[in-house]
Amino acid sequence: MTGQRAGRRRRRRAPAGFRVGAPFRWAVLLATAVYFLVPLAASARYAVQGNGGTFSLGALTLMAHDGALWSGLLVSLAIAAGASAISLALLIPTAIWVNLRMPSFGRVIEGLTLMPLVVPTVVLVLGIINAFKDLPGFFFGTPLLLAVEYVVLALPYSYRAVDSGVRALDLRTLVDAGRSLGATWPQLLRLVLLPNLREAILAASFLTVAYSLGEFVVANLLTFNTFPTRLYEVGTEYADEAVAVSVLALTLTWAVLLSVSVLGGRGASREARRSQRAAMTAREARRLGSEPFGRPAAEPGEPA
Amino acid sequence: MSAKAGGRAVPSPGAAAPGRRRRARALRTWLGLLPFLAYLACFFVVPSAAVVTAAFENGRGGFTWSNLTASLSGIYLTSYGTSLELAAISSIVAAVAGTLVTIAVVSSDRPLLHRLVTTGAGVMANTGGLPLAFAFIAAIGNFGIVTQMLSGIGFNPYDHGFTLYSFTGLVIVYLYFLIPVMVLVMLPAVQALRREWFEAASILGAGRRQCWRLVGVPILAPAFLAGLMVLFTDAFAAYVTADVMTQGTIPLVPIQIGSLIQGNVLAGQQNLGDALGLGMISVVVAAGVAYALVQRRAARWQR
Repeated sequence: MTGQRAGRRRRRRAPAGFRVGAPFRWAVLLATAVYFLVPLAASARYAVQGNGGTFSLGALTLMAHDGALWSGLLVSLAIAAGASAISLALLIPTAIWVNLRMPSFGRVIEGLTLMPLVVPTVVLVLGIINAFKDLPGFFFGTPLLLAVEYVVLALPYSYRAVDSGVRALDLRTLVDAGRSLGATWPQLLRLVLLPNLREAILAASFLTVAYSLGEFVVANLLTFNTFPTRLYEVGTEYADEAVAVSVLALTLTWAVLLSVSVLGGRGASREARRSQRAAMTAREARRLGSEPFGRPAAEPGEPA
Repeated sequence: MSAKAGGRAVPSPGAAAPGRRRRARALRTWLGLLPFLAYLACFFVVPSAAVVTAAFENGRGGFTWSNLTASLSGIYLTSYGTSLELAAISSIVAAVAGTLVTIAVVSSDRPLLHRLVTTGAGVMANTGGLPLAFAFIAAIGNFGIVTQMLSGIGFNPYDHGFTLYSFTGLVIVYLYFLIPVMVLVMLPAVQALRREWFEAASILGAGRRQCWRLVGVPILAPAFLAGLMVLFTDAFAAYVTADVMTQGTIPLVPIQIGSLIQGNVLAGQQNLGDALGLGMISVVVAAGVAYALVQRRAARWQR
């Protein structure tokens, strides 16, 4: 209610530094909405379409009896769990260490985590085959390899999530307080840092899970049977059924990603509120009451 | 980790060793990064380097240029052309569309729209591959819902030369994950446009169009170019969507590499895929360097 009123009051002011015509704005937004929603609506419709345009869940029930799809899903879930466990074990200590001991080095580490974007996934598969094909079968032939590589491939997203969480903490104070009270490092991590990082940890693991559940290129080229590769096989035989399952998968992935951005948004808005309060105090001090309805500088935080 | 941190408080025995102590502490600081760096080295740097070295090796482990020359001739050269063209066209279209969307959103005063678009863009930018290809096939494929609706009103696009399983079709699908990335890149830049600049320009007599041409466009240009580079590499490296939609009928570099991995290798061409991979890495690195240059220019501008 209050938000609505604030919105209406805000409407009298130009919200941005520039103006564009309303027809232009609505034309662009409408075209965008159509482009992004029609394929979604179409695949949802396609998924529940029976003969002659009737409603039917036949495609989904048929898929529910596909054993290979279920076993693929199990493998994918195991890989996702493994990848996010490895990823957290690796990234949380690293992010804390970097922010605590070598903050000036943060940019370099961030740059390193972006490196996997430089090598296209197909090319990385080539390299994996070149480098690891002679290793014993317990590594190269098992889904462990996929979990390990998904950690690398999801790194640009997962590290950002962890790092922004660590950065939002007053790390130095927390650590010094804990240490001066006699906490060992494992205690400090378990009792102070990890609880404070809960949202960042959730976000990072969700991102890794979403990546692992949807990844197709590596799994397919290394001939593993995961959920997406089975979906692909099904798609070459029964298009309707594959679309149906893919809609389900997409919905689930989006639910995961949406919760990430809600988590991130909550952290960001808390941060924004804090900095906004500081900025307000400063501003009040400088100029008193010059603008009664000054628009607060709260913008949606950087998305995950 | 506790041992390392605990050692910090231990006083050094020798008075003449502050330099050594500092060096020891620096070493410990670096040791904290060791797990991360080692992991990245083992599972990313080693495989990537293996591609680069294999590109210059013949079947018996000797040095050769023949992989590279083979990868730059015939069907593979054509693939590079098509891949670059696809990446260029789809990234330019997506960059322009994404910028327009961002301007439309920022100029609106509805907070709900802002939230919807930022969240939506974050989610859509990560949507790719299989579900995306399936969604478009369900919409405007041969027997897609939209295709059926259009032919119901007497305009079947497939009777007029359109097909989703073509170059144009790929561009249409690629826009779906490229536009959101562009929106995410442009949002901070567009939000940073200050009202004072436009007011100053219009007080000096500029019309709305002049304001945009002389103030808005030059300020947004660095972010736009940076976004363009990101989109270009994204589109250039995309594999699944193209593979599922065209089944290899359109020659693209990633698809060639994929089919080489899947065993369609001619004798004497074992390392051809690696040479193509090296080529792809080079293209991405070139785009990355261009991005860095643009960023530096932008940083100078915004100081």
